[in-house]
Amino acid sequence: MNDKSTWEFGTRQVVYGAIGAALYGVFSWATNIFPLPAAGNITFRPAIAVLIFFAVAYGPWVGLLAGFIGNTLGDGLTGWGFYWHWSLGNGLIGLVAGLAMAGISDFKARGDIIKAVGWGIAGIAVGMLFASLTEMWVGGIDLNTALFGYFTPAFLGNTVVTVILLPILMIAFAAVASRRGR
Amino acid sequence: MLVTWKYRPRNTFIQRLDPRTRFLFMFSVIFGLTIPEIWDFRIILPLFAISLTLYLLARIEWKDVRRVWIFIFIFLSLIIGLNALLSGRGGPSSVTSIPSPVLFYVPILDLFGWMVPITISKAWFALNQMLRMLTMAILAIPIPYTMDPNVYGTAFKRMGASDNVSFTMDLAFRFLPTFARDFTITVDAQRARGYEMEALKGGLVERIKRLSPLIIPVVMQSTVTGEEVIDAMDLRAFGTSKRTWIKTLTYAPRDYFMLGLGALIFITCCVLKWGFGIGDYFVPDFFTAFFVG
Repeated sequence: MNDKSTWEFGTRQVVYGAIGAALYGVFSWATNIFPLPAAGNITFRPAIAVLIFFAVAYGPWVGLLAGFIGNTLGDGLTGWGFYWHWSLGNGLIGLVAGLAMAGISDFKARGDIIKAVGWGIAGIAVGMLFASLTEMWVGGIDLNTALFGYFTPAFLGNTVVTVILLPILMIAFAAVASRRGR
Repeated sequence: MLVTWKYRPRNTFIQRLDPRTRFLFMFSVIFGLTIPEIWDFRIILPLFAISLTLYLLARIEWKDVRRVWIFIFIFLSLIIGLNALLSGRGGPSSVTSIPSPVLFYVPILDLFGWMVPITISKAWFALNQMLRMLTMAILAIPIPYTMDPNVYGTAFKRMGASDNVSFTMDLAFRFLPTFARDFTITVDAQRARGYEMEALKGGLVERIKRLSPLIIPVVMQSTVTGEEVIDAMDLRAFGTSKRTWIKTLTYAPRDYFMLGLGALIFITCCVLKWGFGIGDYFVPDFFTAFFVG
C-alpha cells in the first residue's frame, strides 16, 4: 500500500502529489459550483478530506505538494488569483496530516482511522492558523479578525468535513488496495 | 460541465513577460509593503498606480473578472474596511494612539452603553488599508487569466525548485482535465441512478456524507491511475538523472526592466523605512481639514 519511509521523495510522491493536487483543485472548484449549504460564515470545503487522505496515505511531502499546488489550482480555476499564504497554509495541512502515515497500517481499523482524523485536525489547526495569522501581516487585519473571522470558521468547517469524509475515504481505499495487492 | 482555464492568449505586454518575472515582481511589491510595514499613503499610492497600470495592461475582459471584483469589493469594504474603521486595529498602534477628532459614535451594544468612536485617524486608516490590500490583490488577480498553465512547472524549476517539485506541479496541471472529466462522468452516472445533486437533503452531516458517491469513485480511480503512471515513469528511469524541460524560458530586456523595477521598489521601501524613518502611519492634514475645516 505504501512504504513506511515517511520523508522519502521519489516517483511515488511526485505522482501522488500531482494527483492529490489535481483532485484538490477540481473538488475545490466543483464545490464553488455546487455550494454546500452552511451556517453563517462557516465554509465547507469537502475537498479538504481528499487532501488529508492523500497525505495520510502517501506521506507529508505528498500532503505538502497536494495542498500547496491544489489550492493554487483551485484558486486559478475559479479565477481568484494566487494567494501564496493560503496555498502554503493548505500545504501545511497536508504536511502535518502526512505525519500520520508511519503510524497507519490498516486503513479500515478503527484505531488507525481515529489516528488519521486526529492528525488531520492537527494539520487543519496548523495550516489555517498559519494562513490566518499571515493574513495579519499581508492583509493588515487584526488578531481578533484573524482568529475569529478567518481561523475559527475555516477550522470548524474543515474539521467537520474531515471527521465525516476521511473515514469513508480510508475504508474505500483499504478495499481498493487489497484488490490491487500493493 | 467543462473545466476550462481562465487563460487566453492576448498578445499583451504582461503576457510577453517571463512568468518568473511576474512572480518575482509580485513578491517584490508584497514584501516591499509588508516587511518594512509601509503605511504611508505617499508610498502606497505610487505602488497602487504601478499595480493598476500592469492590471490594465493585461487587458482582461470585464465579463471574465466581474465575479472576482464583486468578491474583492465585498471583502475589502466589509471585512477589511469596516473592521479597520470600527477597531482601528490590524496596523500600527499609532492609528488609535494618536489624538484624533471623533467623527461620530457607533452604538455596538447600546444597552450596555458601548459606543465605538469613529475617529478621523481610523477613517484614514481604513482607506489606507483597503488601498494597500488592493495594490497587492490586483497583481495576483490577472495570473490565472494571463499565464499559460503549461509554463508553471518550468517557471518554478527555473526559480530554483527541484526537478521533483517542478514535475509534480507540471503533472498536476496535466492531470487536471482528466480528473475533471472523470468527475463529470461520475456526476452524470450518479444522476442517472437518481442522485439529486441540486437538492441535498438532511442535516449537515447527512449532506456532507451524501457527497461521497461523487468523491469516492474519482479518488479511488485516481489511486489506480497513479500506480500505472508510477510504473511508466519508473520504466523510463525517472529521477535517476537531471531532467531537461520541453518549455524553455529566457529573459528579454523587458523582463530585466521589470525585475529591476521590482528590486528598486523593495529596496526603496526598506531604505525609506529603516534608513530615513519614512513610511510610518500618519493622517495627512488635508484629510483632517476635510472633516474639521
